[in-house]
Amino acid sequence: MIRLLEISNHALFWYYLATNLAYLAMLIIALKTSAQHQRRLESHRLSWLKDTPMTPPITIIAPAHNEEASIRIAIRNLLELDYPQLEIIVVNDGSRDRTLEELRDEFRLRAVRAVYVSEVKSAPVRGLYRSDVDSRLLVVDKEAGGSKADAVNAGLNAATSPYVCIVDSDSVLERDALLRIMVPILEDPKRVVAVGGIVRVLNGSEIEKGQLRRVRLPRKSIEAIQVIEYLRAFLIGREAWAQGNMLTIISGAFGLFRTDLVRAVGGYRARSIGEDMDVVARMHRHLREKKVDYEIRFVPDPMCWTEVPSDLRSLARQRARWQKGLLDVLWPNRDMLFRPRYGRIGCFALPYLWVFELFAPIMEIAGITTIILAASLGVLSREFFLQFMIFGYAFATVISIGSVLQEEVTYKRYNDWKDVVRLVSYCFFEHFPYRQLHMIWRLQGLWQYMRGDHEWKPLKRKGLASARAQ
Amino acid sequence: MGSIFEKLWRLGPAAFVFKAIIAAIVADGLLLAFIFVRRTYRKRFFAKRDKRVFELRQEWDALICGRMSYDRWRKKAFDRRIVEAMALDAFEAAGPEESARLLKFMRTSGLIEKRIFEAQHLKGWRRMRALVALGRTRAPEGVPALAEALRDRHLDIRLAALRGLGRTACPQAAEEILAWIGESGLTVPALPLQSALIQCSAERPQLLLPFVKQAEGPLREIMGRVLGEVATPALGLELLQFVGDEREELRAAAARAMSHTDAGMAFDALSELAEDRTWFVRLRAIIGIGNLADPRAIPTLLKGLTDSNRLVRLRAAEALVQFRAVMVPIFQQVIQLRDRYGLHAYLTAVENAGLRERLESQLQSSNVGEDEIRRLQEVLQTGSLPTEEPDPAEAVANQPESRL
Repeated sequence: MIRLLEISNHALFWYYLATNLAYLAMLIIALKTSAQHQRRLESHRLSWLKDTPMTPPITIIAPAHNEEASIRIAIRNLLELDYPQLEIIVVNDGSRDRTLEELRDEFRLRAVRAVYVSEVKSAPVRGLYRSDVDSRLLVVDKEAGGSKADAVNAGLNAATSPYVCIVDSDSVLERDALLRIMVPILEDPKRVVAVGGIVRVLNGSEIEKGQLRRVRLPRKSIEAIQVIEYLRAFLIGREAWAQGNMLTIISGAFGLFRTDLVRAVGGYRARSIGEDMDVVARMHRHLREKKVDYEIRFVPDPMCWTEVPSDLRSLARQRARWQKGLLDVLWPNRDMLFRPRYGRIGCFALPYLWVFELFAPIMEIAGITTIILAASLGVLSREFFLQFMIFGYAFATVISIGSVLQEEVTYKRYNDWKDVVRLVSYCFFEHFPYRQLHMIWRLQGLWQYMRGDHEWKPLKRKGLASARAQ
Repeated sequence: MGSIFEKLWRLGPAAFVFKAIIAAIVADGLLLAFIFVRRTYRKRFFAKRDKRVFELRQEWDALICGRMSYDRWRKKAFDRRIVEAMALDAFEAAGPEESARLLKFMRTSGLIEKRIFEAQHLKGWRRMRALVALGRTRAPEGVPALAEALRDRHLDIRLAALRGLGRTACPQAAEEILAWIGESGLTVPALPLQSALIQCSAERPQLLLPFVKQAEGPLREIMGRVLGEVATPALGLELLQFVGDEREELRAAAARAMSHTDAGMAFDALSELAEDRTWFVRLRAIIGIGNLADPRAIPTLLKGLTDSNRLVRLRAAEALVQFRAVMVPIFQQVIQLRDRYGLHAYLTAVENAGLRERLESQLQSSNVGEDEIRRLQEVLQTGSLPTEEPDPAEAVANQPESRL
């Protein structure tokens, strides 16, 4: 038994070390690529992109389910975006509140008989409406499909542009976000099939007439900690994975895809829980099987600001859902694992997700259990245990502060000194008890999925109107 | 000598952890120190910069006209960068007169010479920055330096030079770009090249013709697309030869270009291209025919309404609603097509153009007979084909995937 515990402790030590080294490697890659990106941006003037006749049209698809609180601000924000050829499709996904009425009042909608061919499956469409205020706005009113994926599919059917940009209707895009996200496509339209943008935390910031006026750090700790999580995930994780063309997720809140490719993979999977990751995984599979030379890129500067959960209950549900979504994508794609046909995705990215993301909460629980067991059996060196904890803590803060540094040297959105001091201090305080709670929520997600709970449940949100809107 | 993994393994967790703690704490400290030192430095730098910008802005006119001695700001790198940045920003919003004044200032102050020198002699991102600045000035004397940078081995530099040449929008820049692609082929992505060529060759599109004829492979497609964008009626005869080209991109370009030429000559060629086997050639031809606004095109456009491609149907419908004087006969013919998708495309175009009321009023005043008016009104209201006759499109409608 004691021997077994020793082996287990050793294994967990190396697992933990490997996780941290992977993050360290990603931090270094991300810092390097961000610097390169900043330099490369100097050869672009965004206004030049806007002026060129070659800039392809984009259709923005914004699914909305019970979004009466934020829909006006969100759509006004989309209409204000700086892009030469734009179509905006809002999909009212069977909202039971006043979402459609709010849209009708604000944008003077009139029913139209636009062409709607059900190329990818979605719940039945009840009607199509075009705005008299801005003819670029089309509203698709459909029956509730039970998922965001279903609503996106309806938008895909109505889209007429070669590129679709999927956004959340409770998010705010920066004015030049579309121009920036198009940069990789304009550089290499044949190879680049999808681009992800960065999603940042909106809570606490000020919005005026659908535009972000002032970026502030949220006041509540639970929201501020999520700021660090988002910085870490996007500015380190995605930046680094994209560098090796191994991006396995493009956030559902802001991503750009080639329309024909999304249609070719059958659109979004309506029953998927993590629809954003699922569609990217299927794209990788499709393109690898067809032996297409392609790239899925991440650009860190087109920013989308989104509202994050502000109470523990909602956050727990969101994180459990993310973990369910991860398993929901990894399990059906398990045949891609370690098969050379799927290249780096099959041999590197997916195994990483299995080992270091999906199993992470299980490994942590196993770690805590064996430590307790070892302590109770008297085989745990207290000195070593303490050292190990200090190392884990100090190393995790290096990664968190590294993500704050990334934000500081590149985009620097938090201008207030107080915000930066608070942000850095949360890098030290997020590890207890938030991290442990997070692990429990993720375990809950796995448990729910294995019990057969594959439902996509919407979260409680305050709405953009509460984001100190002016 | 053992590998790093063996060494790590021999160290064992206990020996490793202590060193790792020290390393992590040092890294934490360094990162924090860097963030705070950088913030403090930037705060001071921008305060100083803002103050100086404000001072220079007060004397902007004197500075631009040369009444203020150039020596007052040229010798200090800090001031020189500010003045140049302000002048380049002013270029972006300037009209022709103001641009000429700014360009004169950039020339007489030596800022352009300095940037040309940097573009020719510096390396890496410094060269790129100089190229971008030169492009922003649109000064023709910058063209040789920009053209030279097209031969740089770094893609980012080549792209910056290409974009800069595009900004100058002069035929001399187009000649340089064409000479370069003639030498080295396609060494940059297609879109920036197309954009730059479109901007530079708009004034003299005939520059492109010899290159289109000689080019092969993807380059030929790119040149075809550029030609499609910049073609003028004067190129009419030259473009006819591409109508039967084996490359679909070139046929599409010809279709695109033909709409800018003489309607008499373009009509037959576009009608032929509207039946091409490739959907985007048909699309371009339909858009081209729509641009001609020639009533002879109505049958071709009606046929386009039944196209298997959705975009072609939509564009055909948009072209058809342009014929506002004959909306009722066209509407009747759309119904006679017995194609539900075509009908929807047409009604969508009518709605989008805000012409529904006009069609309704034309129906009221038309002399097609009361029954026919009622029938047409019903179709307009319901968006469905009349039911008295069997609907051949129905079978297809049940398999929407087949109608992309």
